[in-house]
Amino acid sequence: MTDSPSDAATTEAAAGDAGGLEDFAAGIAAAVGADRWTADHGTVKVYVDRAAWVHAVIAARDHGLDYLSWLSAVDWARDVAVGEPLQNPDDTEERFELLACLGTTTSADLVILSTSVPKEDAAIDTISGIFGGADWHERETHEMFGIDFRGHPKLVKLYLPDAFEGFPLRKDYALLSREVKPWPGTVDVEGMPSEDNVEAGDGGGDEGESE
Amino acid sequence: MTVNPQAMVHLSDAAVSVELETPDMTLNIGPQHPSTHGVLRLVAQVDGERINSVEPVVGYMHRGYEKLSEVRTYAQITALVNRIDWVSGFANEVPFIVAAERLMDIEVPERATAIRLILTEMARLSSHLIFLSSYPLEIGAATPLMHALRERERILDLMEGLTGGRFHPNFNRIGGVKPAVGQGAQTKKMSLDIPKGFLDGTRESMARMTAIADDMDSLVSGNEIFLARTKGVGVIPADKAKAFGVSGPNLRASGVQFDLRRIEDYLPYDRYEFDIPVGTTGDCYDRYMVRLEEVRQAARIISQAIEGLPSGPLQAKVPRIIKVPKGEIYVRAENPKGEMGYYIVSEGGRIPYRVKIRSASFSNLSVMPWLLEGALVPDIIAILGSLDFVLGDVDR
Repeated sequence: MTDSPSDAATTEAAAGDAGGLEDFAAGIAAAVGADRWTADHGTVKVYVDRAAWVHAVIAARDHGLDYLSWLSAVDWARDVAVGEPLQNPDDTEERFELLACLGTTTSADLVILSTSVPKEDAAIDTISGIFGGADWHERETHEMFGIDFRGHPKLVKLYLPDAFEGFPLRKDYALLSREVKPWPGTVDVEGMPSEDNVEAGDGGGDEGESE
Repeated sequence: MTVNPQAMVHLSDAAVSVELETPDMTLNIGPQHPSTHGVLRLVAQVDGERINSVEPVVGYMHRGYEKLSEVRTYAQITALVNRIDWVSGFANEVPFIVAAERLMDIEVPERATAIRLILTEMARLSSHLIFLSSYPLEIGAATPLMHALRERERILDLMEGLTGGRFHPNFNRIGGVKPAVGQGAQTKKMSLDIPKGFLDGTRESMARMTAIADDMDSLVSGNEIFLARTKGVGVIPADKAKAFGVSGPNLRASGVQFDLRRIEDYLPYDRYEFDIPVGTTGDCYDRYMVRLEEVRQAARIISQAIEGLPSGPLQAKVPRIIKVPKGEIYVRAENPKGEMGYYIVSEGGRIPYRVKIRSASFSNLSVMPWLLEGALVPDIIAILGSLDFVLGDVDR
């Protein structure tokens, strides 16, 4: 929460929200038939089975969440070609996590439905018949992660050229520029401060007043 | 557009044949077309003047920001996300930086959030003034362009004075906003956080903003040709809009009073009074009118914000090395074009594990094939323009 600490009323309201958020999360989980949910950092996630994906989306829509915000995926991989590796790779199950974010236009209610798609059988039923907007999101997820959406009316590439090979957002897909020139580059390496958490001197304190 | 000789033959047959059959023609619009705000190609199957189907071809501006975000630090990503919707660069930074701050559990000083709010609303004015200048132009009215762009220049000048950037301020830092020259560690006492003349210039510009909205009303809103081109054209019903994830002014034009400034707390909008204009039918005219009224409301918010600007530091105390604790978060904001959000997965390091960028124009444009089916060819431009998308925001 970005509220100022002096604004006690807002902070209290935010604390009250957290309880409401958990009730909301539990309510949605019950409605879609899921037994696992989280509500960390104000983000509600409900975990459903792959086989129940379409039913869960329909149930959430019938529960009042009729606004599709977005749909995408996360590649949980023990080995990464570029970027940040997992904190505990051995505890992580290799999988794609498919996410669909549904909301409503009458309140702040928002839920991210999550399901696991195994890498060896990267396929799931489409929800483009339920939410028209899922059409493009699924096409993007298909070309970026290689997840097959069964029953999609036109599962062709959205952004990438037709001849493009590979799935760029998979963690085993290396960035060509990173192959040629490792990161951080020479400029970054020189000037980087040490790894100790040095408290920054700028900006803090009471010196910021003006006008 | 070229005339198909085959079609000409059929036209001449019309006199003798009652059951006239016209062959479908493929009409290619773009990628370089002045009304497409970037690089968009439309492949339309037309039967005479009637569109049977249309397939938008996007991706010409795909820069792979989601993959790039996996090899950049949080501070570096703010420079990237500026360029998603380049008409309102600052507004793109806010939800990303708020998401990182919430994962790190940082309290941002009041003065910094107020400055963020002012700049976000300036970005909204900058984006809406582009729409108000270009949309009438696409329909054939050239004069409003000059009026609206003149006022937009003033907004850009003010933003440049404060942030140093006209389009891409890159002004947000985790924990606050960039301290201006003189507020660094060596010269702590200087604290020149807002340049001289910024507040006066903003007051003057906001007064002119109401005047330009009135100008647009008298030049465009009641114009008979404009009404004929936009009234009842490109109607998006509320339920379709929601299923496609259409947001922002496009959704509100369909009569849905949904504004994330009211229901989310990413910036302190609850301190200021403003109205949320909504349309009734969801046609091109409503989308125009909603944006015109939002210009007035944005000016109203900024006017209140600069009068009650809190004092205090511009930045919270943050570690020199930004490491974001393990966690997952989605933060969304009401950007000029609609809901913009970032889903961040952090594994506890200096760079995110995954960033999903939810951009407004992507969903707003995805309604296009449905919307243009059965429409007339001359209405394509009127409908495209009214959705007010930017291709950088579609392709990311």
